[in-house]
Amino acid sequence: MKSTASTAGAASRSKPGRSGLLKAMASRYDLYLMLLIPVVWYLVFHYGPLYGLQIAFKNFSPARGILGSKWVGLDHFERFVESYYFWRLLWNTVSINLFSLLFAFPIPILLALLINEIRSKAFSKIVQNVTYIPHFVSVVVMVGMLMLFLSPRGGPVNAIIQAFGAEPVRFLDSAAWFKTIFIGSNIWQNMGWQSIIYIAALSGVNPQLYEAAKMDGASRLRRIWHVSLPGILPVIVILLILDVGHFMNVGFEKILLMQNNLNLESSDVISTFVYTTGILKGEYSYTAAIGLFNSVVNLALLILVNRFARKKAETSLW
Amino acid sequence: MKRNWGTAVLSALVVSGLTLTACNSNTPGKDNGGESKDGAAKNVASAGFPIVKEPIKLKMFTRIAPSNGPFKDMPVFQDYEKMSNIQVEFIEAPTDGFNEKKNLLFASNELPDALYRAGLTPLEAIRYGSAGQLIPLEKLIDAYAPNLKKLMDTYPEIRSSITTPEGHIYAIPGIVTVGSARTDKKWINQVWLKKLGLKEPETTDDLYEVLKAFRDKDPNGNGKPDEIPMTARNGLSIVPIMAGSFGLDFQLGYNINLENDKVQIWMGNDRNKELLMYLNKLYSEKLLDQELFTQKEAQYLAKQGTGNTGFFFDQTNNPMLDGKVSDQYIGIAPPKGPHGDRLQLAAPVPRDFGAFAITSVNKYPEATMRWIDYFYSDEGSTMLRFGRQGENYELRDGIPYYTDTFLATGNQSKITPYAGGGAPHLISDKVASFINPPQVQEAQKKLDPYMPKIRYASPMFDEATAQKINVLRNDIDKYYEEQSTKFIAGALSFDKWGEFQATLKKMNIDELQKLYQEAYDNLKKQK
Repeated sequence: MKSTASTAGAASRSKPGRSGLLKAMASRYDLYLMLLIPVVWYLVFHYGPLYGLQIAFKNFSPARGILGSKWVGLDHFERFVESYYFWRLLWNTVSINLFSLLFAFPIPILLALLINEIRSKAFSKIVQNVTYIPHFVSVVVMVGMLMLFLSPRGGPVNAIIQAFGAEPVRFLDSAAWFKTIFIGSNIWQNMGWQSIIYIAALSGVNPQLYEAAKMDGASRLRRIWHVSLPGILPVIVILLILDVGHFMNVGFEKILLMQNNLNLESSDVISTFVYTTGILKGEYSYTAAIGLFNSVVNLALLILVNRFARKKAETSLW
Repeated sequence: MKRNWGTAVLSALVVSGLTLTACNSNTPGKDNGGESKDGAAKNVASAGFPIVKEPIKLKMFTRIAPSNGPFKDMPVFQDYEKMSNIQVEFIEAPTDGFNEKKNLLFASNELPDALYRAGLTPLEAIRYGSAGQLIPLEKLIDAYAPNLKKLMDTYPEIRSSITTPEGHIYAIPGIVTVGSARTDKKWINQVWLKKLGLKEPETTDDLYEVLKAFRDKDPNGNGKPDEIPMTARNGLSIVPIMAGSFGLDFQLGYNINLENDKVQIWMGNDRNKELLMYLNKLYSEKLLDQELFTQKEAQYLAKQGTGNTGFFFDQTNNPMLDGKVSDQYIGIAPPKGPHGDRLQLAAPVPRDFGAFAITSVNKYPEATMRWIDYFYSDEGSTMLRFGRQGENYELRDGIPYYTDTFLATGNQSKITPYAGGGAPHLISDKVASFINPPQVQEAQKKLDPYMPKIRYASPMFDEATAQKINVLRNDIDKYYEEQSTKFIAGALSFDKWGEFQATLKKMNIDELQKLYQEAYDNLKKQK
């Protein structure tokens, strides 16, 4: 940001700079026209709606419009923070994502390393295909499959449990199981897909490094540890930061579909609360405030992680 | 000028981007307050048909139930269009997700001319009404709705339950004067009872024994334990159905008992604990449908038609007719609870609040009011419910009955919007032959002695109070529903009852009770 600001400043101060920029733009006008499309897209669909955020500080009434509604300051934020559900919502939102990060993030890396070690090209392709195909199952179908598989009556999982003489478990009606099932099924569905980028990164690691390590008598594990992993570390860090970027709103549709009164204790997250209170009960201002709170927390997290990554791993988004 | 074109274009883009979005969501609501606009009003005949000389078009937003077909194919709307000269285009939304679509209409201010079978809550009516999105109807009713007005004079509770403290009426209800259409009958499988040599259960303990027999003694005789002893509509609907046996009433449209003019919200009471413990016993012993908390409306209706359920609840016997098992079932009286209570849940006469409303974009409020008013007469209601004489129904002693040939097609709910509930019209003895056939009348007779003397509908609050109640109820209702479900399903032990009560207290249930008390006192004063 800093550098672009200073060049813009320089351009406005010195005439030759600006006319130079204009000349460059004129000679490449077709490229700039193409740039116009995404710029307009962002302005209209991403920055334009931002002005609607003000309803978080107003008592929004659709008939009076966004500008015409009355200001109420931080009332809605106070109501949320004082709400009985505040801590539960915050904990569920954070913990689901924290556990996802803890368990779901490393697995694609492991998978990529494993696939990379497979000697037979054909077999590694098969493994890759088999693991990434579940990614194309839609969320609705996915939840339907979970319900079938985990059903206490006739579901295969419970059939196995019963075969061992135990009572069937009501997986989807239980708050204790919710997070495990949610994160577990996410891993199953996405690990193959997410490993693709690591596999690509691994193929970019200089083969001479492996040769050298072999010559020095490094075992397979040692080679993975000292050559493969450092080779893809920048990619890992970037993906980690990107993941943190949507830390607070992962999996809204899936959680909503899996939610019921019996697992609400651990499945009620900020985004589903916003939907049920805001859309279904028409409390737009209140939920706009909650949504804004959510985004601010997320932004803070993103900045923190990015700063940490820049210091420790010397890789960062900005 | 020339060298600035880049900046100019960019700022033009920014400005236009902002104004574009601004235009969309910032159309100020018009407030035409029910005042007649000369041109439009002149077109409207004050009585008789057609309603308008020049044909007009109205857009109405409506909910369609799973069993309904498209509204435009229904004979009632086809015929009524010719009669009234008003062409109605229905924007249909299915029952699942209906509330979401309804709220989005209001939030985006893209309003239809009217909302039909809208299921507006009192709070929604006040909120959208005082904001000017819905127009006040009281003057229109006086001038253009003779049928509705007559009903409001006969049953004063209608007016008190739909008028806001400021004296406005923003939505009109479905009106039910026939008692049996205000209750859910308690249907029990008499074939099973006979086969097992059991009597109709008189008490909640009897009921428990009967259900156990249904579960264990293979009453359908197929050798498999596949009977469902008891089922109900999704989730907590089981609570109001059984609550009467534990002395819990539903006054003022909420979980409220009225004793000596004192409003008592009973969610944290010991009686409610007993009720939930009873339901928990049924559920954990697999006497209550294990799919209760996950099944959808359609699944429940299908179960009624299988004949494989022992005990369930519905207003009519229609879903059973489809499965040709209706003879298997008889209605029973509410079972007597441990403290001798036997109360039957019944809806008030203005049963479906917010069934119809007119929005501020409607250019013909007078014609629209006349259009809907016809359905509050026996004649209009017959047309709505029965379709075409000869083709769909015949008159016997002046009472319309579906013809047997038509009933055999099974298309009954495809020709009328009343099937699925909540349609704005009158349900009287004259038009209730289908929902009130002899079997249902028999069942109702057993409930009649236990009907509450007065059932107050949800009161109307002023906007500020309504908002306060909404904030309180958002947390309380969510908590109550979640915890009750867990208590019933056994996911929460009754050791936690004290904690449940304490949390309700912390959520200011006392203040909520106070607000309802004030509303009730006002109601009393009006009389």
